[in-house]
Amino acid sequence: MPPESLTNEAIAERLTSTALKSLKKGTIKKKNLIYLELNGCSGNIISLLNGQNPDFEYTLNSMVDLKFCNSLMAAEGERAIEKLIKAMDEEYILAVEGAVALKNNGLYNIIGNWQGKPLTGLQAAQMLGEKASHIFAVGACATHGGVSAAKPNPSQSVGLQQVLPNKKMIKLPGCPVHPDWFLGTLAHLLLYGEPETDNLDRPLMFYSTLIHDRCPRRPFFDRGIFAEKLGEKTCLFKLGCRGPVTRVDCPTRQWNGHVNWPIGDNTPCIGCAQFGFPDAMAPFISYDTTRVVKNE
Amino acid sequence: MSKRIVINPLTRISGFMEIDVMIDQNQVVDVKTKGNLFRGFEQMLVGRSPFDAVYFTQRICGICSAAHSMASSRALEDALNIEPMEQGKYLRDIIHCCEFLQNHIRHFYQYTVPDFVKIEQNSLFQSDHDDFRLPKNINDRITQHYFDSLKFSRLAHEMLAVLGGKAPHNHGVFIGGITTQATAEKVVHIDSILDKISKFIDEKMIPDVYDIARFYADYFRMGGGYGNLLTYGAFNHYKELGTLYVDSLVSTMESVEAFDESKIQEKIDYSYFNSINNSNQPNEAVTEPDMDKEKAYSWVKAPRYKGLPFEVGPLARLILSGSYSNGISAMDRTIARALEAKKISEIMKILLQQIIPGVDVQKKYELPELASGRGLVDTTRGALGHWLKIQDKKISFYQIITPSTWDFSTRDDNGFRGTAEEALVGTHIQNPDKPAEIGRILRSFDPCMSCATHVYSPGKQVKTIKVF
Repeated sequence: MPPESLTNEAIAERLTSTALKSLKKGTIKKKNLIYLELNGCSGNIISLLNGQNPDFEYTLNSMVDLKFCNSLMAAEGERAIEKLIKAMDEEYILAVEGAVALKNNGLYNIIGNWQGKPLTGLQAAQMLGEKASHIFAVGACATHGGVSAAKPNPSQSVGLQQVLPNKKMIKLPGCPVHPDWFLGTLAHLLLYGEPETDNLDRPLMFYSTLIHDRCPRRPFFDRGIFAEKLGEKTCLFKLGCRGPVTRVDCPTRQWNGHVNWPIGDNTPCIGCAQFGFPDAMAPFISYDTTRVVKNE
Repeated sequence: MSKRIVINPLTRISGFMEIDVMIDQNQVVDVKTKGNLFRGFEQMLVGRSPFDAVYFTQRICGICSAAHSMASSRALEDALNIEPMEQGKYLRDIIHCCEFLQNHIRHFYQYTVPDFVKIEQNSLFQSDHDDFRLPKNINDRITQHYFDSLKFSRLAHEMLAVLGGKAPHNHGVFIGGITTQATAEKVVHIDSILDKISKFIDEKMIPDVYDIARFYADYFRMGGGYGNLLTYGAFNHYKELGTLYVDSLVSTMESVEAFDESKIQEKIDYSYFNSINNSNQPNEAVTEPDMDKEKAYSWVKAPRYKGLPFEVGPLARLILSGSYSNGISAMDRTIARALEAKKISEIMKILLQQIIPGVDVQKKYELPELASGRGLVDTTRGALGHWLKIQDKKISFYQIITPSTWDFSTRDDNGFRGTAEEALVGTHIQNPDKPAEIGRILRSFDPCMSCATHVYSPGKQVKTIKVF
């Protein structure tokens, strides 16, 4: 027998196909999933629809029972919120995208009406977070506030952990999250329990290594050959690339069917999968990080 | 006998929307549409590097992020006095085409279809109403296409990523057009996917939408509204190709005329903002929030053209380009989105044929000390404008008027309602306890509240009281 392939794609696929087999055999049970969109752009659910092996249909039919999802569910209004409240009667995994807006007691982000009153994202996050068996903070806004909390943060948005200080959660930073990071982690949870995480609660299988350490343009960096504008094929470090401070597997995994990624597109990484994005990563692009010194 | 219907959340849209409808003898007599999330992008952008706006503004919306990169990079080109090379424009517009295809396929199948088709595969698709009229064989076929479509919208994003690096939130669209160079491999990769998507649109999506229209023909007489249409123009002004789709035009029931940017005003008569004159040019400073304003009921402002509310989006574009003449209604809007997907796939094919491999359109850009610019572009949901000012090489002002702000605006002092509000007035609600009509009509506009409410400002929440 040849050794198993260790590419990212192969690992994610192995995880999910094993999960499916175990589900079919009845050795593991389908779990309920509540997908909560809070203060953000709903870019993560769109990214998850881009999932491939597993794709969304497979996830829905074979991995979890999706009980609530504002972007996709047929029900609307109070009947939709009723489904959300009812889902709390059974065990569920909670996935949250978007930040929690604190301003005005959370009234800056109302996700629906319940019993005639507005239900805020803040209330929903706390209520559902308290009872969830597992929590995923999906994307930069949920993990630490992200763009929703960018200076001057008019909505006083924060990451999910801040309103659930005592709850353990798996954090999946990224803007948006790569579908594999979420679906692979979910598959691991269903099959073997929570995956190993680092001290910032990120699954090591996706977030262990600096982009810079696996960048195909690293040889240019090592030889001091730097791009001076976007569109060049050399190291983008001097245009403000955040690869040296961002731990995630974009260089080997790549995006959208594994076809490309920001550095492959001749642009600097903007550190969207690192805590502190966007403000700690700004400016994203600069043409003058170093000056050329002549005749000295 | 009056009755109030509140729907919150309106699901299967981007973002959060609340609908507050008054009905009298089953007829809608009054409507308020309201966005329910706030982030404050315009304030966030002030002080940042102008270059960052292209990536930063994409985070306004996850389903139409490339649209903001288009408007933002054009606004910067305007401010920096840069005329992109034709190859740069082609490549950037190809990325934009990919987003149109992704958006239209997802909006039709994931957002619209569950309104008309009974999907029984999963409890997620359990509906509140029981107005399902499709014969079983058609219902089952479109249900199958709901799941099939996921592959094609995903593939549309794959094409986008080939040139744009990733999606959502691409890196490829930038000042000058695009950050990468085309290669034969990339062009063929995209072209091969495009063929598959075009086939899906022709053979599945368009027949599906016409089947739905056949059994829900009453929706051709619902959700019309004012009938004023506006486009900033799309896939036009090419040096050699001319106009592939539509030029900037406005039409009312009386006339069709060329679009004149100076006629745009944003009114705030019924929005929570204070200003001396209740009306601003897009490049004028954002007004002060004021929740205590007596008659205000929404954070969405009211863009007007020559004082009138306008509809923007696929139906407006198709009619103004002379390729659709059936009418203006909820069903026409839904059909237009599918027909436009076909049109965009044809335009994309033409653009791909113009590509010369290996052309590098990027330069090293210098920021001016003082400048202003604007980028107007028609995108998936309609007319999108970004207006910006640069001072000391930093952003000093940023204003965004999104398509959903046009379609979901508040009423104004001249007695005009917002476009979608007006479209609902007069609608007959079959069963007020399970209203299917409201959501169907509103979704026909493809609302994006993530976009429309990015300019919310601090204030108190207005209480709505449910009557049933």
